[in-house]
This record gives sequence, structure tokens and C-alpha cells, in this order.
Amino acid sequence: MSRYAGNIVWEGLAPIPQKHEGATPLATIAYKEEYVEAMSYLRAVMAVNECSERALSLTEDIIRMNPAHYTVWLYRCKIIFTLNKSLCNEIEWVNNISLKYLKNYQIWHHRQTIIDKLGSAEGETAFIDQMLEKDAKNYHVWSYRQWLVKRFDLWNQMELDFVKKLLEQDLRNNSAWNHRFFVVFGKPNTSAPTDKAILGREKTFAEEAIRKAPQNQSPWNYLRGIYRQSKESIVELSPFVREFCGINENDLVQSSHALDVFAEIHGDIPETQLMAAKALDLLAMRYDPIRVNYWNYRKRQIEDQTTVAA
Amino acid sequence: MASSTSQTGLPDLYSRIEELSVSDDGQRRSPYPPIPALYTSRPIIQDSLSTESSEVQDGVIRDCLPFLEGNPNKQPLNSRGIQALQRDNHVEFLKDALEDYPAGFVAVDASRPWIYYWSLSGLAMLGENLDKYRQRLISNLLAAQNSTGGFGGGHGQYSHVAGSYAGVLSLAILGGKECYDMIDRKAMWEFLGNMKQRDGGFTVAPGAEEDIRGAYCAMTIVSLLNLPLELPKGSPARVNGDETFFTGLPEWISRCQSFEGGIGASPGNEAHGAYAFCALACLSLIGAPYEMIPKYLDIHSLTAWLSSQQHAPEGGFAGRTNKLVDGCYSHWVGGCWSMLECAIWGPDTHPRNGKELWSKNGLARWILCCCQGKNGGLRDKPKKHPDAYHTCYNLAGLCAAQFQYVYRPSELNPFANAPLSAAFSWTIQDSNSNGVLETCPATDEQWCWDEKDLLKPVHPVFVIPLGQADKIRGYFEAKGAF
Repeated sequence: MSRYAGNIVWEGLAPIPQKHEGATPLATIAYKEEYVEAMSYLRAVMAVNECSERALSLTEDIIRMNPAHYTVWLYRCKIIFTLNKSLCNEIEWVNNISLKYLKNYQIWHHRQTIIDKLGSAEGETAFIDQMLEKDAKNYHVWSYRQWLVKRFDLWNQMELDFVKKLLEQDLRNNSAWNHRFFVVFGKPNTSAPTDKAILGREKTFAEEAIRKAPQNQSPWNYLRGIYRQSKESIVELSPFVREFCGINENDLVQSSHALDVFAEIHGDIPETQLMAAKALDLLAMRYDPIRVNYWNYRKRQIEDQTTVAA
Repeated sequence: MASSTSQTGLPDLYSRIEELSVSDDGQRRSPYPPIPALYTSRPIIQDSLSTESSEVQDGVIRDCLPFLEGNPNKQPLNSRGIQALQRDNHVEFLKDALEDYPAGFVAVDASRPWIYYWSLSGLAMLGENLDKYRQRLISNLLAAQNSTGGFGGGHGQYSHVAGSYAGVLSLAILGGKECYDMIDRKAMWEFLGNMKQRDGGFTVAPGAEEDIRGAYCAMTIVSLLNLPLELPKGSPARVNGDETFFTGLPEWISRCQSFEGGIGASPGNEAHGAYAFCALACLSLIGAPYEMIPKYLDIHSLTAWLSSQQHAPEGGFAGRTNKLVDGCYSHWVGGCWSMLECAIWGPDTHPRNGKELWSKNGLARWILCCCQGKNGGLRDKPKKHPDAYHTCYNLAGLCAAQFQYVYRPSELNPFANAPLSAAFSWTIQDSNSNGVLETCPATDEQWCWDEKDLLKPVHPVFVIPLGQADKIRGYFEAKGAF
């Protein structure tokens, strides 16, 4: 039954069995025999730093049995580079197993290393789109996509269209919102943070999303992120915020995030600080009481300002 | 408050109902304090637009409400009428986690040091004596230690910064000369030096990804083992020769803060609770939290973001905006607060002045009601199976709720003048109740745990029992260089 011992391909290599871990080792795994054998041969090839066809097929065998094995992925990469193997073939192989191991950390890093060396992102975004269809918030996939944008200078309309499409599917997909911010403002030495046209476009994009679902936190974070980055005053948000909240008894409050921004706007101006305090009280007592301590802290910050001013 | 035990000794939802008594005004009353409506009702503001995110969020609330309102697993209750800490069951669960796994768990092969750490750390918090594991741990880790420094998942695996972190913490938890001396410190220093990159961050293994876990785990090891700060020859970050482990690191962490205020795995990535803890803890290793955190992070947006991860009615934390609560963020987000509060209020802050920024009761209620598995172990959320990872980080989160950590740089630090010693100034508030407050200072509401639900506190930065970090560092202070 053995795949390696007695196999002519593996002649001349003495497998290295797993070191004894004492009489009563911790957290032992009842490995399958085929895994035990393959690992013994992996130790042996790694010990002499063997980069060969047989070592390459060994890594495939182990990945098939345990894709979470970071060592074998890293070793595989080394073999591929040493043997000058076709990088396109490697990506094709990875494509075939990616869906099966979508949540796996190692596979995405492996892909990144290969694509980096290949120097071409052709087909990559289409492949990622397919992955995100299965799991639209997968952190590894998104991190890989951000690396791809940076590495291949993809700060373009296609990326924005892609984000837009995902947000049409789920307006609350925060990963997509993060990617949009990255694409618009993340390019090194970009002028976007001070470009009035771009800032205006992005504010409108977020505001339209908020109007569709005022309690969705993602576009609110996006909007505040824009203001923080451009260092513009959020006072200009005042009329927009009033669409979703007010502090009087009969006012309809459609969004706790709107009340939060309302408090921030009014907390900076001495004449309106009482209004800010009222908004924070509403959050603490009625609309968002799990954060009572945080809202009280915000209120105290305003009071401290007043004390200092006085 | 009336006793929580019924005649059978096993109080549950049904005994709660049986114990309803008729009061003077003819109303039937539960012997337990009423559950605040905050934890039994859906958020008051909800959008009509339905998307996949809102649908799964609705589902989670639906799954959690029975556990928040009642006791569907019929577990013993504490005097507040919520599930008591099922200490013995959790101990058994973690002891089991240290024993044999069937073949289907082969994925664990690459991360066995984590299994040791999660289990031992959890058992320590539950108050177990761990001496019997010392020799077993040493034997296991000897096989996983590479001559080129660091620990891999097991024999023949590349060293990994996270695996090395878990291995070193496990040894620190058990403590003692034999545990400390089995670590090849000089080789560890060389391994970590090789992971340090020119941009200031760290990769997690040779040729592997660079992210903030790498930075936090590496600096934890450097601090606990008292390794030299200068980089070994051959480190990719050594360009002029005067670079250290610190060079460019806080600046790199600063670049990981996203527009939302939270922290991503690396610059440009989405804000995520686990990386927030790594960032705050890493900065708190390098210097005092009240100096480092405001210097390198925007505190205002960070506080807002961390705060917004706490969900109601669940009470627990989510890891990202518009994602679901998960018991592991009890620590990853819950554990951020002691460092952040120190950053905001400064050192030596007395906890009894209402300066808490989050809901400790909300988190403790979530952990006790929703995250305890029926037969021991803690979990992501109802309907999920418990595992060692979620058990460890739910318990660490419960520590964050139960104890008041105070940073006292002036009196406490035994290594005050040594480099990378900033994290040795933490203690728990030494009030009459061992750092445990009787009521919430901000709102005067009573805590939802009893004395018998109390854990042994972990260190807020090292996440091992308070005191064990001082011991290992003290040992290597005395030992000096290699």
C-alpha cells in the first residue's frame, strides 16, 4: 500500500520519522499511515534541501491531505522557483483547489508569491470575483486583492465598478466599503484626499447608500473617514444628518449613527454643546444603551471643553 | 438575593418558574433580578432594507435570545439568575483538548503549540494546577524547536512566529528553570531578526506573509525572553547596521489603522478586532500605553470603532463592522480596553471613578449565557461547537470584564530601566476584593457574576496568568546575554 517506501522514484532517500515526543505527548493526532509516511519523506527532502520533481509531487500529496500545513506550501514555492517550473501551470493547479480550501490562509499567500514572480495579474481579478461570490467577506481574499491593486497599479474604474456591484448585492458588505476607500485614497502620493471632485463623488456615493439604509454603519464610517482624511469640517454634514435624526421629543430617529455625527458637529461649538449633550443622552438612554459608558465619556469630553473654555 | 439553587440542586429555567413567589401586590415575582430589556429585545432602530448581512444578523439574534432570556440547556444559575461559570466542565474540556485527536484533525498538525497555549492558558484562568503538564510540554516543544531558532508546529516544520509565541507563552505559563532553559534564546533571536523587514513589520515565517500578528508575537517573545534589541547579522532589516527590533515598527503599526479607526492585518486592509489587539499590545510592549498609543494611533476613531463592535442584545463583540458577534472577540476586542483606557486616562487611574468606556456586564452576560457549551468548553455563539481557541479567548474576555487592570509604572515595574519592559507595570486594582469591583462604577448596576464565577486574572498584554510574565523575564534578566 505504501506510496513511497519501495517506490523506485524514492530510492536512495532515507525517510526521517517524527521525533519521539516523550512517553505521554500532548495533543497527539492519530495520523493516517499515508500522512505519516509522506511527512517522513518531507523531512528527509527538506533536510538535504532537495528541490526535485519527486519533491514537488510529494508536496502536492501532503497538501491534499493537510492544506493547513504552512511548511509544505512554503517548501513547494521554493521548489517551483528553483526548478523554474511554469508559474502559469502552478496558478492553474492552485485554481483547481482554491474553492475547496477557500478559508485556508496558506493558499492565498502562495498565490501571491507566484503571481508576484510571474509579474502579470492577467485573469486574477476575474478569479477573485468568483471566490467572493462564494464568500463576499473573506478576509484573505480581500487582503490578496488589495495587494494585487498595489502590486499591479490597478487603482482604476474597474475596481470601483467591482465594489459597486458587490454593494448592490449587499449594501452592508464592509469589506467592499473598505476596498473602495483603499482604491480611491490608498495609492501612494495620490492627490485624492484633497481633490474636491473626488471627495464630492465619494461623499455622494456614501450619502446615497445611507439614504437607502440609514442605520447601516459602513457608509457612515466611510463618510467620516473621508472627512478625517481630508481634514474638512464635518459641520457641512449638518443638513444631511438632520434627514435622519433630531433631538426633540417628536423627532423621528432613523439612525443612531446620525445622532452620533450630530453630537460631534454640535459638540465643537460652544453655543450648541447642549444640543450635542442631548443627542448623546438619547443614544445612552434610548437608541444605543449598550454603549452607555462610551456616550457618557463623549459627553464628559464636551463638558471638559466647556470647563477649559470658561 | 435569594439562593440560586432549587431543591434538586440544579436550578434551571423551570425551577425559576417554580420559584416564582406571590408578592404583597399579588404579582408573581422571580427570585432573580429582572433582565434588562437591553438584552431581551431587538435594537430599537432597524432598517427595512434586507440584505444578506442583515439576514444573518437577524438569525444570530434569534439564536441568542433564548439563551439571554432563559436557560435552554438547564445549567446551574448564579445568584443573578444567569448561567454560572461551568468551571468543572470547562476544565474537563480543556484537559481533553490536550490529549488525543482523531485523524480528521490533521490540520492541527501545523499549529499544535497553539493547542498547548489555548488549553493551558484556559486551565490556568480556571484555577487548575498545571505542574503535571510540565514534562510533557517540554518533550513536545523540544521536538518542534529548530536549531535555526523558533518553534514550528512539530518536528520537521519551519519555525513560525505565531507558533513560537504560543510555545513560549505555554512554557511561561508552566514556568520554572527547566521550561525556561529549553528555549534556545540565541537561535530565537536570530530567527526573529530574520523575520524583521525593512518596512518595520515582521513576516510570520521565512517567505511567508507579513502582518501585524507577526509584529505582536515577535515583540512578545523579545520582551519575555529579554532578547537583545539589536538585529542579528543577516536580518533583512539590517541596512545601516544600527537598526533594532523597534526600527520603523510603531510607524508601520500606525499605517495599519484604517479609515474606520480600527486596525487591519497590514496597511490598507479592513479593520478587524484581532488585529486591534495585536496593535495595541505591540505598542504597549514598546512603551507605556498612555505614551505610545496616542502617539501612533488616532484614539478618537479607534475608541469609536472598538465601542461599535459591542452588539445588543447579544452583549458580545463582533470583529468587523456589520459582521456577527463571536466569542473569540471577547478577548480580541474586550482585551483592548485596559490598554486603551490607560492611553486615555493615563497611569495609576483609580477604577472607581466611572471611567469605563464599555459594557463589562454586557460582555460577561454574553459569555456566560451564550458561549458556554452544554457539556463544557466555550464557543463562537449558540449552535456552534466549543473548541480550545474559543474557550481560551472567551475566558480571557471574562477576565477583562471581571478585573480592573491598572498601569502603575512608578511603583511596580521590577525591570523599569531595562529595554522593552513597559508591559511589566500592570496589576489588578488591589482593593479589598482583589481587583474585583462589587458594582459597576459608572452605572451602579450590580455585576452579573458571583464570586464563584471569578477567574484567575491573565496579564492584559501577555495573556498568561498575572505574575508568570514577571517570572520568566526575571529569570532572563538575571541570566543576561546568551
